[in-house]
Amino acid sequence: MPEAKEKLIVTSSPHVGSGLTTKKIMLHVIIALCFPLIAGVVLYGFYALIVVILAVASSVGSEWFYNFIRKKPDTTGDLSAIVTGMILGLNLPPTAPFYVPLLGGIVAIMLVKMLFGGLGKNFANPAATARVFLLLAWGTQMMTFIAPIDYSSGVDAVRLFAGFVDESAYVTSATPLAAIKGAAAAGSTDVNLLDMFLGNIGGTIGETCKVALLASLIYLLVFRIIDWKIPAGYFLSVAFFSLLFYKNGWNFILPNLMSGGVMFAGIFMLTDYTTSPDTRAGTWIFAVGAGLLTLLIRRYGGMNEGASFAILLMNLLVPLIDKGFKSRPFGYKKPPRKPKGEAV
Amino acid sequence: MKTKTFRYGIHPEERKHLSKDAPVIKIEAGEFVRIPLSQHIGAPAEAVVRPGDRVKAGTLVGKASAIVSANIFSSVSGEVVAVESGETITGGRCMHVVVKNDFEYAEERLEPLISPSREDIIKRAREAGIVGMGGAAFPFDVKLSVKNPIATLLINGSECEPYITADYRLMLEKAEGVLRGVRLVAAALGAAETVIGVEANKRDAYEALKKAAGDDVRVELLKTKYPQGGEKQLIYALTGKKVPAGKLPGDVGCIVTNAQTAYALYEAVDLGKPLYERVVTVSGLAVAKPGNYFVKTGMTFAELADAAGVCAQYVKAVQGGPMMGISMHSLRPSVTKSSGALLLLTEDEIRSIAPTPCINCARCASACPMSLMPMKIDALILKDMVNEAKAYHPELCIECGCCAYVCPAKRPLVQSQRLAKKLIRSAGAK
Repeated sequence: MPEAKEKLIVTSSPHVGSGLTTKKIMLHVIIALCFPLIAGVVLYGFYALIVVILAVASSVGSEWFYNFIRKKPDTTGDLSAIVTGMILGLNLPPTAPFYVPLLGGIVAIMLVKMLFGGLGKNFANPAATARVFLLLAWGTQMMTFIAPIDYSSGVDAVRLFAGFVDESAYVTSATPLAAIKGAAAAGSTDVNLLDMFLGNIGGTIGETCKVALLASLIYLLVFRIIDWKIPAGYFLSVAFFSLLFYKNGWNFILPNLMSGGVMFAGIFMLTDYTTSPDTRAGTWIFAVGAGLLTLLIRRYGGMNEGASFAILLMNLLVPLIDKGFKSRPFGYKKPPRKPKGEAV
Repeated sequence: MKTKTFRYGIHPEERKHLSKDAPVIKIEAGEFVRIPLSQHIGAPAEAVVRPGDRVKAGTLVGKASAIVSANIFSSVSGEVVAVESGETITGGRCMHVVVKNDFEYAEERLEPLISPSREDIIKRAREAGIVGMGGAAFPFDVKLSVKNPIATLLINGSECEPYITADYRLMLEKAEGVLRGVRLVAAALGAAETVIGVEANKRDAYEALKKAAGDDVRVELLKTKYPQGGEKQLIYALTGKKVPAGKLPGDVGCIVTNAQTAYALYEAVDLGKPLYERVVTVSGLAVAKPGNYFVKTGMTFAELADAAGVCAQYVKAVQGGPMMGISMHSLRPSVTKSSGALLLLTEDEIRSIAPTPCINCARCASACPMSLMPMKIDALILKDMVNEAKAYHPELCIECGCCAYVCPAKRPLVQSQRLAKKLIRSAGAK
């Protein structure tokens, strides 16, 4: 009969646990991020893959380096830096110069994540913050979008390798966001909804193909990685405020949902655990608020796209939301407030 | 069929199939039994025997020394050889009565009661040393002596902890006895209504109880979810009443007790048999023949492990369920009145003991059946921010372990809730 080990493990209960670990969660997110990545490479060519790889390499490298110089144990094994890198990379234009993802990764990991204490301690979404930084630093490069490859007329080598070749070879394309903004007062847009759904439009690597993003959403919901309330609240809120802010608003619901980073943000960025509220009520406020801000910027702001800024602003509000919405324990009733002036 | 339940909670891996179909087998004690004099919450019993005394199975060896205390009985016949200090399940020490078994199994009984009054039943619960057998081991007569009138008696047959099947086998095999015990408890409390809740994964036990129950006892099917058997959760599931924070079930007119305790009361009243034996599940992937055993208190867990066989290297030995049980430092301690199970768990079965940083996923908060926010309390208490932690009400934690079970960072959340409770209490005492 095999004997027990010399010493038995004595711990506090419980003694069993679910198989889910932080690393597995990150792995699920990485798998889900592969759908828009594949779509992005198909749509915009191989350079898009290079952009994402550079962002990932820079993120992981930054985290490793930070731990190295601080003489702390290496934490890259939890895969969270890969997730940050992928989200950042997929938020960049498909022809972004190589230094953009590299610097973006450093900002995301070093400044936003590690300086604030690493995994679970960042005050805002690292990828969203880095994207905003890059937008401000390299406005032109960050706003140059190429048209997707047209496979119906045979594979065009130049287009497939756009980004590797000289800039003049690009076919640039405006994103539908400009068209939507321009048409806000008119009350109807002429954007092609099918193209927007398939991703046959200009945009960042990961955000354009809605088919891939829906696959990611279903994947993440099935494995219960993300809270359904965030995408639901965000998309519903975007739809609602489209109706409210635009003339003949119903014409703008689908264009607003399917353009820019709304879907990508609702699935991958607002759902970041650390920078989303802890309670059910708080989560709804957070998601709906993000939708309101996105639409306010899109409709009345100076920019065409507002998702990144909406994420950042709502991230910063999370501590306040969490302060305001504490969950009420089962059977707990707030003690009646003492009338003013009464001695305590 | 619609089942009743509470809000939130978790669905841990059940692993009841290991021992579910094993009928209860009686195992006999070895040459010595070591009977702890502290098998209950409250003051340890006082030894009333001395080395050299002859005892029978059912002879009083320890007398309740306070109101919250319980009588202790010898579980075998033979000779008392020592009254000495010994190891307890929690790793402490208490006095034990050591009896040398003469293998004659002579029994000593109390006088069976015929048509007992309320007071008779409560008195008998005290005489027979009955305590809550669900794990808390609270003296049963104290629980029965309620001041508020009790409208509803709830019998917990949910056995929501993974692995354990002791109550299930008892309800299935001794449905009549359980029902008789339930009626005695109801009579002692003067309860107007009696409800037995059984989880949906024990449907045959539910059917058996339903068949044995008349019009006076309702048997309800509960959803299979942990912690369905938590006192407040069970009350909410079966009556829809919420026990207010800091109050007891009695304050909403309910009393919850467990099926095996009711059975013990039946034996004490109708057969005059004091409590010195119980059904214990021995399970876990390291156990060769997982099963349910009728065990005498005072036998060591090592004897139980020998009876069931060990087939793999185990790293944890748990007394009770895997969610709320106690991990023992060795198998030397004795089985007590509230030992529901012995689990020998292998490396693969146990939860990782290496925590990683909290990622704020709030899974713990959404699983918490008390709607607490374990991650906040964990973070604050580890920074010694006792006053801030207080705002999240760790004192309401029932320590069910749902939070730690679901935690992907494998943080010891229950431990930090306990720490918070303790620090708040000691800060308040200053």
